[in-house]
Amino acid sequence: MNKNKLTNLKEDLKKNQIEIMLYPSKCDGCEGEEFMACVKACETHMNKKYGSKYTGARINIKKKENKFFPIICHNCEEAPCVDACMPGARYKDMETGWTITNYKKCVGCWMCVMSCPFGAIERVGKDHFASKCDGCIDEDTPKCVEACKKGALKRTGIKNYSYERRLMVAKKIYGPYIKSNIKG
Amino acid sequence: MKYVIIGNSYAGLSCADAIRRFDKIGEVTIISDENYKAYARPLISYYLEGKTTDETIWYKDDDYYEKNNFKLMLGKKVVSVDTASKKVIIEDGTKIDYDKLFVGPGGTPFIPPTEGFNPESPMMGTFTRFDDAKKMERAAKVAKHKEAIVVGGGLIGLKASEGLRGLGLHVTIVELLPRVLGLALDEISGNMTAKRLNENGIDTATGETVTKINLDESGNPVSVILKSGKELVADIVVVGVGVRPNVGFLEGSGIKIDRGIIVDKTMMTSVKDVYAGGDAVVIYDVINKRPNIIAIVPLACEEGRVAGTNMAGVYREYPGGMGLNSVEIYGLPIVTIGLTNPASESQKVYIFQDGEKIYRKLVYDGEVLVGAILLGDIAGSGILSAIIRQGLKCLKYKDEFLNGNIYSFVIDNEFEIYNINEGYAIRGDFEDLPEFSRTNWR
Repeated sequence: MNKNKLTNLKEDLKKNQIEIMLYPSKCDGCEGEEFMACVKACETHMNKKYGSKYTGARINIKKKENKFFPIICHNCEEAPCVDACMPGARYKDMETGWTITNYKKCVGCWMCVMSCPFGAIERVGKDHFASKCDGCIDEDTPKCVEACKKGALKRTGIKNYSYERRLMVAKKIYGPYIKSNIKG
Repeated sequence: MKYVIIGNSYAGLSCADAIRRFDKIGEVTIISDENYKAYARPLISYYLEGKTTDETIWYKDDDYYEKNNFKLMLGKKVVSVDTASKKVIIEDGTKIDYDKLFVGPGGTPFIPPTEGFNPESPMMGTFTRFDDAKKMERAAKVAKHKEAIVVGGGLIGLKASEGLRGLGLHVTIVELLPRVLGLALDEISGNMTAKRLNENGIDTATGETVTKINLDESGNPVSVILKSGKELVADIVVVGVGVRPNVGFLEGSGIKIDRGIIVDKTMMTSVKDVYAGGDAVVIYDVINKRPNIIAIVPLACEEGRVAGTNMAGVYREYPGGMGLNSVEIYGLPIVTIGLTNPASESQKVYIFQDGEKIYRKLVYDGEVLVGAILLGDIAGSGILSAIIRQGLKCLKYKDEFLNGNIYSFVIDNEFEIYNINEGYAIRGDFEDLPEFSRTNWR
């Protein structure tokens, strides 16, 4: 495998698992604007996807003092919400590796809300279901990533991520001597 | 390698999945004494209410067993395990060889001695299996006075009464303790829950027991007599007091049993190559710091996975679990985590209450959060359960937790982590990367 292929984002996204990366320090909650772009985009998409039921945004921005933090599913490998799900509504999609939900099976027992260490699952009391991000697996790019203009959310494959992270560590240590050549 | 799994529910299937993750060719046999493929057992009350149906109650997809190449044996009751010659003996005399055995038998309902109780009657029974729910569905149709008595105000009892109420019956819960969900809730939250039940047509008789069930000629209940001498009309009597580990068939196998099955850190029993998990095992309780039986779904899955991983030859330890539960009573969500009623003087309690709608209670042991009750507003309760399970010091967040700003803990603590790494993928563990591919996720 040549060097280019290793960090080719397109190739990586096709072959490997897709992840959404968070850069909370870049998030400013879209202050001064009408709405938070990612939340709005997710809501619109979910309304389109599910119609009348099972709607509502799957991403949320929490604020404390001057810090903003996107609350979104972290797609755990051995997900506590999958373990806790009594009806078997939440499962790992074998093809994409994402933890997704079969809302038809969800009865609203809130076991997953109680188990998610990131607080990323929301109880929707009115329609009686637990809503969670499904990574927009049937889309090219997750809608929240598409909407974020601040660079706080980014989509990447795991090969790319590990490469980027190695470079970041190296950069921290060696400073300007190493140049990052990642695009996207 | 021949793997045999006794028990076709959460622990057993989680174990089977873990075995398949590491061993693609091993022969896996799953034995169940019920005639159904895996179904969502705690959902049988929702089945009565119609919230889940004959199509959606199944825990896994239809092709789950074929796809993973699991051999399923339904309706076969295991009578004993011969650990010397490594054989599982079925009721009809069949012997099944195993190389590694997983025991996940779950619990059998405990029935307190009550005069007149007869589980054979079509109008009386326990409430833990799909058949029980179907029986109650039939019974509700022929009930003359539309009156049901549920013995036990724990989770099983509460869910059973909600299900029966959904069938149009008037239900009375008879509970020995002074409040419903007595072990998990405290006085205030118990009363709030009871009030919600009463508003929806379920009466609660707390501090009471059923001493006698009066029967008619055919052996069906007519009325029950309580400890206080009160007589209540009853068409249906359901006993949902609790479950005891279903370990009778392990007698003589040499497996050490003390209330439940004793396991080591790898979930192996005292006999080599026999593993156990689920509601029947004694595991380490990280909150009370002693071995305990904790019968909840998330832990059954975790235990099953650890056992399955070890069975497939990959060493893994189980750190222990804690009790936590969540339930919704007529629009009132309830989450209880860890130790909810303080046991010693060093533990301090902080309470927030907003009328009849919201109630939060935190139990701190020194600086460490050891338990919580959330009623009404449960957003972010998972963060609290993670904090409690890990024993993090968080006394300075108590006011924010009480006011419902549970996320502020995450922002304060995770923000720094994210910034150090200048970005952080949602999946963090790359040490395990060689194992990973799209298809072998567990």
